[in-house]
Amino acid sequence: MANELTIPSRGEALRAHLDSGGALAAVFPYHPPRALLRAHGLLPVEVWGPPGRSTAAGDAHLQPYTCSLVRAGLAFLLDGGLERAQAILVPHGCDSLQGLGSVLLDFVKPAMPVLTCYMPRGERDLDRAFLADELRELAARLAEITGHRPGDGELVEAIEREERADAALGELLARRPELALGERDFYRLVRSREYLPAEAFAALATRALALPPAEGARPARTPLVLSGLVPEPMALLDALEAAGATVAGDDLACSGRRRYRPTRGADAYARMSEGMLSGPPDSTRGSSVQARLDHLRGLARGSGARGVVFLTLKFCEPELYYLPQLRDGLAADGVRALDLEVDLAEALPAPVVNRLEAFVETLR
Amino acid sequence: MSLLGALTYHANVSLLGHAALRLDRWRTERKLGRMPTAGPHLGPPLATSGWLKELISRHYLAGRHANRVRKVAWVTSGAPIEHLKALGYYLLYPENHGAVCGIRRWGERQCQAAEDAGYSRDLCSYARTDFGTVLSGKTPVGRLPRPDLLLCCNNICQTVLYWYQVLAHHFRVPLVLIDTPFLYAEARPYMLAHVRRQIDAAVEAAERVAGRSLAPARLEGVMRLSHEAIGLWLKIMQTGRHRPAPILAFDEFIHMAPIVEMRGDESTVAYYRALLAELEERARRGVGALQVEKKRLLWDNLPIWYRLRPLAEALASRGVALVASTYTNAWGELVELIDPARPLDSMARAYLHPILNRGTGHKLATMARMLEEYHADGVLLHSDRSCKPYSIGQMDQQRRLAGELGKPALLLDADHNDPRAYAEAQAANRLQAFLEVLGV
Repeated sequence: MANELTIPSRGEALRAHLDSGGALAAVFPYHPPRALLRAHGLLPVEVWGPPGRSTAAGDAHLQPYTCSLVRAGLAFLLDGGLERAQAILVPHGCDSLQGLGSVLLDFVKPAMPVLTCYMPRGERDLDRAFLADELRELAARLAEITGHRPGDGELVEAIEREERADAALGELLARRPELALGERDFYRLVRSREYLPAEAFAALATRALALPPAEGARPARTPLVLSGLVPEPMALLDALEAAGATVAGDDLACSGRRRYRPTRGADAYARMSEGMLSGPPDSTRGSSVQARLDHLRGLARGSGARGVVFLTLKFCEPELYYLPQLRDGLAADGVRALDLEVDLAEALPAPVVNRLEAFVETLR
Repeated sequence: MSLLGALTYHANVSLLGHAALRLDRWRTERKLGRMPTAGPHLGPPLATSGWLKELISRHYLAGRHANRVRKVAWVTSGAPIEHLKALGYYLLYPENHGAVCGIRRWGERQCQAAEDAGYSRDLCSYARTDFGTVLSGKTPVGRLPRPDLLLCCNNICQTVLYWYQVLAHHFRVPLVLIDTPFLYAEARPYMLAHVRRQIDAAVEAAERVAGRSLAPARLEGVMRLSHEAIGLWLKIMQTGRHRPAPILAFDEFIHMAPIVEMRGDESTVAYYRALLAELEERARRGVGALQVEKKRLLWDNLPIWYRLRPLAEALASRGVALVASTYTNAWGELVELIDPARPLDSMARAYLHPILNRGTGHKLATMARMLEEYHADGVLLHSDRSCKPYSIGQMDQQRRLAGELGKPALLLDADHNDPRAYAEAQAANRLQAFLEVLGV
């Protein structure tokens, strides 16, 4: 079925964009101001690792107890992987990303400008006001870099384009059970949001949603909620599928936690700020344990899942802190939890697959 | 507050506790007075140490009974607390309590208790120590009071926010956040305004929980005491510029407790006045913290609490004085940002600017300045597995220190509170090789 839906790879999409005269910004997790970058003529291309690569170059700057997402990202940059980017944006999402941004600015000093953006750790009115100011500050830097200062109309157009793509992402996640896509193909589609222009992603998602269901009933699968930052290594999804399970509820930082709500209002910066802080509860934005727990309960209830897989990266504090209380809270509802710890630089370990298989078995 | 509660508190803290601690101080001072040196290679012990012990013990004794008579707030070490003091809260600093556990070798068992409950060993060892204490109910200080309010300021790390969210869920009490934008460069006015607005909100939340309003004159009074204590603390550290240094950073790690957890108290000001007088007298008489001072080093990052004494003695045996640290300096360097007459604005400015809320380049510049001011020959950089914001950047800082500044710098792998992450023999070998480079 995936063959009928051509999902451009990251490399293909970027080459096509550059060949057509477009420019790129390399963007680290978690909540990039996509509309602002696009309005300045930069396509945000997210850097989640990439996985499965040596972190050696990054290890000269970052201690081994820094999470592999950040070490891999720095190694990728130092190995020339981001050389086509016109700028690098490191949003402030945790201590490791903070350190990365600071080390890039103060010591590594890559050829392209390094930008930062502080994500407030709350959803109060004052947080929204602060983020709007932070985005204005970022816009001034982007204007210096690109030589383009978008007007209000351009900003609003970019915001609405991104909101249509966000809505399409939400639709994909909500209608997951109807889609005749395997686990890996589904996440290839969802994660193309990380590098495709918003309008291209929205069109691709629309095509996917319009595809007819698979011939014959899809074999009954055990629904699960998948929580964590990013579904890497992707082999995990193959293992999950082989075990007869499906991700029915998405609580991933790269996808489900970015189901931003549409916004209104005359001030483009206030709209962008409101949108970026409107996603589901997320520890990287300082959400409470209770809010995270309620959200996970809702995902489990809504999808019929009786199990949650917490896929954590080693040393990822935003994810690790809440785990015991989330597990206890879910257990009180009869929802089981499985913790799987992975390192982006390494292949999926066999014991992880074994534990996943055993967990799925217990849910049947 | 019940009458019985008040009576119990005053009997235990103000009468019996006070008398017992005063007696213990008198005994300690007598003992210290009879000790010509603090160790085989160390100079005479600080006479004021007995007073410090009394202060800290009294603080935890008051905490033990605080729930009977006062509202209690648990606060992060970098949080603005002057409004809480002015509202009469008892303040508990889980990080300081963690340090007490570390020094008394309770760190490992508390961390283990947290790990047994499912908390990852990769989390900050202060947080694990705190979770272990909360879950086990055991602490070397007797008992910790239950919080009525949690105040978290992430100007030292983001870790504290997750940590306090866990505490808020456990205790089911309000958590007030003061979210300080990280300063990659200079602070912008909107950042300052953001912090100021949050301090206003924090004051309102504290008033609600306390059930009373903040008196401006009282706040200004507390701010004056804070300001004075911070100024004294800075002067205390600056006595380390003398040769020989009358105080070591190892001493400062212990004597910094009041500036962190008793800032805004009159007793802290009185104590620091006495300590400063003692150090000035030592400097005047040429009495050093070491018997022989050959080389001088700067320390970066948190201490290794469970190895303070052995490290101090190992360095002392080679004539190496640890004359300053970026960690203790952080509690004094912002004194000029505080204007007691404008307490809330001052709080916003000062608490936005700690070294841990500023970039890696700023820390390098701070180290370069301190190396010069303290006439130091090199740097010990504690690569602290439990403190990423302090540690990330050290690998580049080490190269710059050694290269551009010509100052040898050693990256020492450890963890501030979890001894399981510290390899003694490996550390000793690396330290020995480093000291050979220094020529001692």
